[in-house]
Amino acid sequence: MAVDNKTVFDRPVALRDVVTHYCPGCTHGVIHRIVSEVLDELGLRERTCGVAPVGCSVLCYNYYNCDFMEAPHGRAPALATGFKRMRPDMIVFTYQGDGDLASIGMGEIVHAANRGEKFTTIFVNNAIYGMTGGQMAPTTLQGQVTTTCPVGRDTSMTGQPIRMAELLSALATPAYIERVAVHHPKYILQAKKAIRKAFRLQRDNKCYTLIEVLSTCPTNWGNTPGEATEWLDDNMMKYFPLGCYKDFQEDDSGS
Amino acid sequence: MLVSPPVKKSNLPIFTRRILIIVGGYGSGKSEVAVNLSRHLVETSGRQVAIADLDIVNPYFRSREANQALEALGIRCINPSGGEFYADLPIILPEIKGAIEHNDELLVLDVGGDDVGARVLSSLGKSFQKDSYEMMLVLNRNRPFTSNVSGCIRMIREIEEASRLKFTGIISNTHLLDDTDAETIASGYELAKEVSNKTGLPIKFLAGLAAIVESDEFADPDVPVLPLERHLLKPWESAD
Amino acid sequence: MAKVLMKGNEAIAEAALRAGAEGYFCYPITPQTEVAEYLSKRMPEVGGVFLQGESELAVANMLFGAASTGKRIFTTSSSPGISLMQEAISYMAGAELPAVIINIMRGGPGLGGILPAQSDYFQAVKGGGHGDYRVLVLAPSTVQEAVDLTMLSFHLADKYRNPVMLIGDGMIGQMMEAVEFPDDYQEPELPSSSEWAATGAEGREARIIKSLFLDPTGLEDNSWKLDRKYRQMIKEEVRSEKYKISKTNKVLIVAYGTMARICQTAIDELEEEGISVGLFRPISLFPFPEQEIFKEATKANIKSVLTIEMSTGQMVEDVQKVVQGKKPVEFYGRTGGIVPTPDEVKEQVRGIVSKKKTSGKSRKKT
Ligand SMILES: Cc1ncc(C[n+]2csc(CCOP(=O)(O)OP(=O)(O)O)c2C)c(N)n1
Ligand code: SF4
Ligand SMILES: [Mg+2]
Repeated sequence: MAVDNKTVFDRPVALRDVVTHYCPGCTHGVIHRIVSEVLDELGLRERTCGVAPVGCSVLCYNYYNCDFMEAPHGRAPALATGFKRMRPDMIVFTYQGDGDLASIGMGEIVHAANRGEKFTTIFVNNAIYGMTGGQMAPTTLQGQVTTTCPVGRDTSMTGQPIRMAELLSALATPAYIERVAVHHPKYILQAKKAIRKAFRLQRDNKCYTLIEVLSTCPTNWGNTPGEATEWLDDNMMKYFPLGCYKDFQEDDSGS
Repeated sequence: MLVSPPVKKSNLPIFTRRILIIVGGYGSGKSEVAVNLSRHLVETSGRQVAIADLDIVNPYFRSREANQALEALGIRCINPSGGEFYADLPIILPEIKGAIEHNDELLVLDVGGDDVGARVLSSLGKSFQKDSYEMMLVLNRNRPFTSNVSGCIRMIREIEEASRLKFTGIISNTHLLDDTDAETIASGYELAKEVSNKTGLPIKFLAGLAAIVESDEFADPDVPVLPLERHLLKPWESAD
Repeated sequence: MAKVLMKGNEAIAEAALRAGAEGYFCYPITPQTEVAEYLSKRMPEVGGVFLQGESELAVANMLFGAASTGKRIFTTSSSPGISLMQEAISYMAGAELPAVIINIMRGGPGLGGILPAQSDYFQAVKGGGHGDYRVLVLAPSTVQEAVDLTMLSFHLADKYRNPVMLIGDGMIGQMMEAVEFPDDYQEPELPSSSEWAATGAEGREARIIKSLFLDPTGLEDNSWKLDRKYRQMIKEEVRSEKYKISKTNKVLIVAYGTMARICQTAIDELEEEGISVGLFRPISLFPFPEQEIFKEATKANIKSVLTIEMSTGQMVEDVQKVVQGKKPVEFYGRTGGIVPTPDEVKEQVRGIVSKKKTSGKSRKKT
């Protein structure tokens, strides 16, 4: 794949020239950009339909420059399933937060992954409900303070945070599952590589692909963008190790 | 309440085997045939007759709906009781196994539709002694999957596979409910004969609405005829 | 085409295919599962999509996604499953997506039972989900009509770009009747779905299929825009049938679906007793045949209007609204899966006819 690193600051065609509503230091924007670049580079934009979640990225359909559907909270994988089954020639991706995917939409994501639906999920894990103002998410870390666990998450009452990449990798069908991060340039390249691979596998008609992206939410974590990056490094990276959890090359049982 | 019309008794089917298994395509009219056959047996055989509803597929219009009328004629009905009567649960009563294995009453088994419904026979398989039963395919030409010979043969194969029992005969039961006429019944009988020729399974009898098969216009086929009274009625239909 | 004998559920499935349905999403529930079983065989034959989802919640959202492609798609379920679909139905109405949803109703509330009921009238007609929206609701009373209305549903869904719901009590799905499919099915021409569907942004602006309008004026505009469609439905899509309505009628029965057929039998038998009764059968429940019922109910010869349902009284509220107190509106209902018999209907009518004064709504006591 010929990637011209010199033009990296040009706006990809798959991203609209608009100002996003994301907070300073929020990594949603970076992830949008990476996904858009990949759509451009693989020449997929004109036959892509995205599915927006309910969460901070609910308006992402205004930022991407491709067809989009806006799903009810948690149901993006079901919309993507219905769409892709009717139009197997198109490229479909869901973009979902941790509340959307790992809480209210747990059923839909597990079954779509297990059926090997041929779409890609970009799973943005920021360990919190961003949109509704910082409540506990299924991925909130032990001891992490949120508005609904004001003295820190008590895992004896609420269970341990869910590791979605690992959980979904226990399924036999999915083609490719990897966890990446984007809070530092050195991680961004790897993240882009993974996202590109996911879309490439989808283009080549391989089944379900999911990239979990560790993300920041300085606003609801209650810190500065710099502190947020540090907190992610010190806490999330330990509990949610980066890496490839399921690979089509290694295990093609799901082809 | 059942009112027996005058029937051409000499022409009615006679069975030497004790257990009569009624199977067929879904919606072919099995339950109606099973109910009428039970009634015919109790009136003509002089033996105790029991009917068991093995339909675990269809939640409505099962032979168990004719219970009251049958019991009034002295037929033993083996069905779930209470709320389970109306359930869509796959309930097979232990009594059924008993009735199959050791009993001297005549037993009519009304089985659910298609291979899916016939699968329950497989779970009872070991209970059936060789030559103790007739398994008969109820054939209705106006049902989508049994409208031609190849469809019927596929159904026979699928049901035999699912039930692990072999057919011993065919019941020609072609009808279109209220739209049935002598022509309908005759055209179904033609198909049944073709299927019989292809498979070697004899046509045990023809079943048809009494008002039609007992009328003078109806040309008697060369097999016995079971005139049917409708028992499984829709709520707006009356029994006469 | 010659007549074939089909169960309501199978006939609905086949009718959907004949109307050009290319996708079907489902989750098993009695008494409508035969639709899924039938289509699991037939859909692959016609090159369409058959998918059993993990829940009705997912199924309804699969429908949402599939509808966004602009192809004809549908689902079938029964009462508890339809409850789970309401969220997506609201979203589809908001996003102006065509979809056909068929409810073969069983008794409720809750898990209820599997026998026929008409107790989802409110849910279907008054909303069920959130927001200012309506779905077009059709109610067949025979298997043949289930075929015809299923085919019509796809057309109306496309015409209005709105979910259309067909409701039949369990009897409609389970009973077997002779049906005929039209040989050369034709519909009035409609604008192509390529005008609005998500088909990829090649050579055009990207399209967004959504029901989110954060700006209140935008949301209000969308709601009024939807409302204009609903007004148009009220103008153009009222459907009903009359049975033995005449100047000699003492009582006007209003009933739909299976209940209407039972009333027909009762009316025929009452006629022999010298009691003249007419039947008004709404076929579209939304839009409700308001003017038509008003006209029949307020005729001088009508002593009383009798609404009969397989519920504890839902449609009767609309009948009362329509009659505006100009005539007494009585109610008789059975529920839980119990279907009123023609005899019960006759008894109600005889009671009304022999009464000196009628007392308004009298509910079934058990
Ligand atoms: C059915 C329903 N329940 C609740 C909500 C409210 N809600 C909106 S976003 C959200 C959580 C989003 O969190 P997440 O998916 O982690 O996304 P983030 O905002 O963190 O990116 C909730 C609970 C809703 N929109 N719909
Ligand atoms: S609230 Fe958090 S997730 Fe939402 S935009 Fe702000 S920083 Fe990003
Ligand atoms: Mg989140």
